[in-house]
Amino acid sequence: MKKITIKICTGTACYVLGGANILMLEDYIPGEIKDIVGIEGSACLELCKQSQYGKPPFVVVNEKVITEATVPKILDYLNKLTGKDL
Amino acid sequence: MNNREYFIEVDSYQGYKHNQLVGGDVFLSSKIKDENRIVSVLSDGLGSGIKASVLATLTATMASRFIVNYIDIKKSAEIIMNTLPVCRERKISYSTFSIVDIAHDSNIRIIEYDNPPYILLRNSQTVDVEKSKIKVKLRGKKESRLDFSNFNAEIGDRIILLSDGVTQSGMGSAAMPLGWGINELRKFVQNILNENSTISARDLAKSIVKRAMVNDSFRCKDDITCGVIYFRKPRELMVLTGPPISKDKDNTMAMMVNNFSGKKIICGGTTANIVARELNRDVKVNLKEIDPEIPPASSMDGVDLVTEGIITLGKVAQILENGVTGEPQNNNAAHRLLSYLLDSDIVNFVVGTKINEVHQDPNMPVELEIRRNVVKKIIKLLEEKYLKEAHLQFI
Repeated sequence: MKKITIKICTGTACYVLGGANILMLEDYIPGEIKDIVGIEGSACLELCKQSQYGKPPFVVVNEKVITEATVPKILDYLNKLTGKDL
Repeated sequence: MNNREYFIEVDSYQGYKHNQLVGGDVFLSSKIKDENRIVSVLSDGLGSGIKASVLATLTATMASRFIVNYIDIKKSAEIIMNTLPVCRERKISYSTFSIVDIAHDSNIRIIEYDNPPYILLRNSQTVDVEKSKIKVKLRGKKESRLDFSNFNAEIGDRIILLSDGVTQSGMGSAAMPLGWGINELRKFVQNILNENSTISARDLAKSIVKRAMVNDSFRCKDDITCGVIYFRKPRELMVLTGPPISKDKDNTMAMMVNNFSGKKIICGGTTANIVARELNRDVKVNLKEIDPEIPPASSMDGVDLVTEGIITLGKVAQILENGVTGEPQNNNAAHRLLSYLLDSDIVNFVVGTKINEVHQDPNMPVELEIRRNVVKKIIKLLEEKYLKEAHLQFI
């Protein structure tokens, strides 16, 4: 399966609006897809300055921007992406 | 020797008497900016705990004010001794002091009353300075003597001030029945300097106090305080924070980081991204470092530390304001930034003034201050409370 790259913004706005809780994301990734998921941090994804993207916290999965991201929201999207019910 | 050619680092370390929450020793320093002068006082109050703390604080504050305002030493001592509240049990008022007055031309005056003698180290060797006695009349006591010394500092000099908790540590133990003593202490300090001739004032004071605590088997019999004054070549730090107001300054800012010879820190994700882009480097966030309060630090080639911006700076301002004592509680980005600040003599802040409007949203769960205000606050604290030299430049 294709590799999935997840980028978590650790900038100020994202961090205070809930991004702090997403930093533990790795612990929630199901074992079956752990090998294909790579998690990185970003000093700032610079998305909060562009209003069309919506509200922080931001996480980018491959090219897709997830706004107001939470761990369940990211896991849902991973389900969609992998076509599995994890 | 002119004050501007070198930096005077003043720092102290303290251990409290076993089971006491408050120290009865006080080390106080003030910098008189207009005169380019520093006055430091170490005072040990009678007894321990709150009572001693009040005596010592009163003494240190008065001594420092009198000396700063050039009031005669003899008169100052008399006023101090006659002002202190009298202990109900012992019927005496008492606290010791050592005052160091460093003038702009590095002429040093030291006045000592009943503390262990200060140690002067020149080229890592202890040096004896001739002291003259000044007789003082005190209430309750017939007469007391102050020790006065006067000399010129040279680059590399260190002055060590001690409370008797240091020299008397270990007293009664099998290894040192009469306590550590000033001579053994001198040897100990010389050994440290032989191993590390550029040890900072903070680390030297800490080593001495830690050793004294070991002598007392970590149940200190008295408050243990050591203050160190170190004349040395300045250590410089640059803290870069905030994107420039206009984009065409991005490269200027990145080049400032690139060309700076001292240590460099970047605070702010966007700022880090700009520098990384302009210098063609990578920023890597360390996701293994998770802290409930402070966003994780990142790394970039050629930069000593990369942190998030305003939360981290706000935390640093808060810690500086509350006072730094002892060991840092953890190793998050704010504490690391703090260590860099405290280990430097001259801190150059380069602040981009562009504002991220999202931060000003009233719906933000925490109050995010305006960057330049936080930096100004940090600078004020570094200058006044930690005796650092700080510069501010907007970009």
